[in-house]
Amino acid sequence: MKAPESDHQLFERLRAGQEQAFVSLYHRRQPALYRFALQMSGSAPVAEDITQEVFLALLREECGYDPARGSLVAYLFGIARKLLLRQFERRRSDVPVDAGAEERRFAEPVDASNPLADLTARERVEALRRAVSSLPRRYREVVVLCDLEDVDYAEAASALGCPIGTVRSRLHRARLLLAEKLRDERDGGATVPAWKAARCAI
Amino acid sequence: MNCEEYWNDIAGPEPEEDFDTHLAACPSCAARWAAGRPVAGGLRLLAAEMKHVSAPPRVEAHLVRAYRERFRQRVPPVGEVRRWWAAAAAVLLVAGALWTGVRPPAAPLVATNSGPAAATGIEDEDSAFIPLPNAAGSPQDDDVDLVRVELPRSAVTALGMPASDDSDAESVEAEVLVGPDGMARAVRFLN
Repeated sequence: MKAPESDHQLFERLRAGQEQAFVSLYHRRQPALYRFALQMSGSAPVAEDITQEVFLALLREECGYDPARGSLVAYLFGIARKLLLRQFERRRSDVPVDAGAEERRFAEPVDASNPLADLTARERVEALRRAVSSLPRRYREVVVLCDLEDVDYAEAASALGCPIGTVRSRLHRARLLLAEKLRDERDGGATVPAWKAARCAI
Repeated sequence: MNCEEYWNDIAGPEPEEDFDTHLAACPSCAARWAAGRPVAGGLRLLAAEMKHVSAPPRVEAHLVRAYRERFRQRVPPVGEVRRWWAAAAAVLLVAGALWTGVRPPAAPLVATNSGPAAATGIEDEDSAFIPLPNAAGSPQDDDVDLVRVELPRSAVTALGMPASDDSDAESVEAEVLVGPDGMARAVRFLN
């Protein structure tokens, strides 16, 4: 059985004018990119625009993809992220007002009980969805990439432009933050903060 | 490794055993680590639920249009594909004839064409088709295609035709008769 073409092979063919290669690459990579943009922006129209722009970037004369610097999937997520950052700068509403409060939680004693224990599967998913969307951007993006889209740590690091160790430590911190948020919600304390207009502090 | 190092460097260059050793020796970090585990399970559920989410079809449609515009690509009808192959073959064969320096006889070739543009006999010297060297042994086909191409000006003289000095053009328009086997039979210069 013939092995599927690599992303790089598809890229080479699409740049040579073979439309089918472009369509194949789009079908392969579009869903994860769209979901990444959707989870990060919370807006379907923005996610559509970002997805479109990412693939249009591949058609430009100087598209900037260099296989020596990382995989194509990392490059695509990297573009999506840059476009999202631009979007956030325009909206200036990326993070909850008190982003520092998230950091301070690490100094507090940890409640190791399962914050999802008493919830049905549907409730868990919805609670987590809210919690993920309320994370500060730098934690949200690693959770979406690595936990939700199964991007490996090396590719996530390449897309985010940071060391792989940073990805892992942010990911772990993000999970703890999520646990805290879910626990707060379960205990009827501070609810997961909704999006608030705030100057981007990242 | 202290707690701060553990959380800052959890995936640093240190071997994984160092982290496991720290967790085993530090109840606080172990509790914190354990707190993250149910969340990881919940995230898998969320990921599974979102697997079906993807961009709407209009995004793909827009991108394919952009792609075709960028590469000026279109899907030609089958007949047109044949004509383009014939054109390519014609140019190559005419070029080949010029390269070898063969001067073919100037006798006009009478041909018919399935297409209306070529359904004419050749009546006068100026509009006559010049048979190409490779066409000498070819059968007189009824089903030939007429393909219009551009050739270098030097092709005019190389094939024994007078080249006008009036024009500064680098190329001349020509019509090439192409047989059903894809081989060019004859050429006629238009200007």
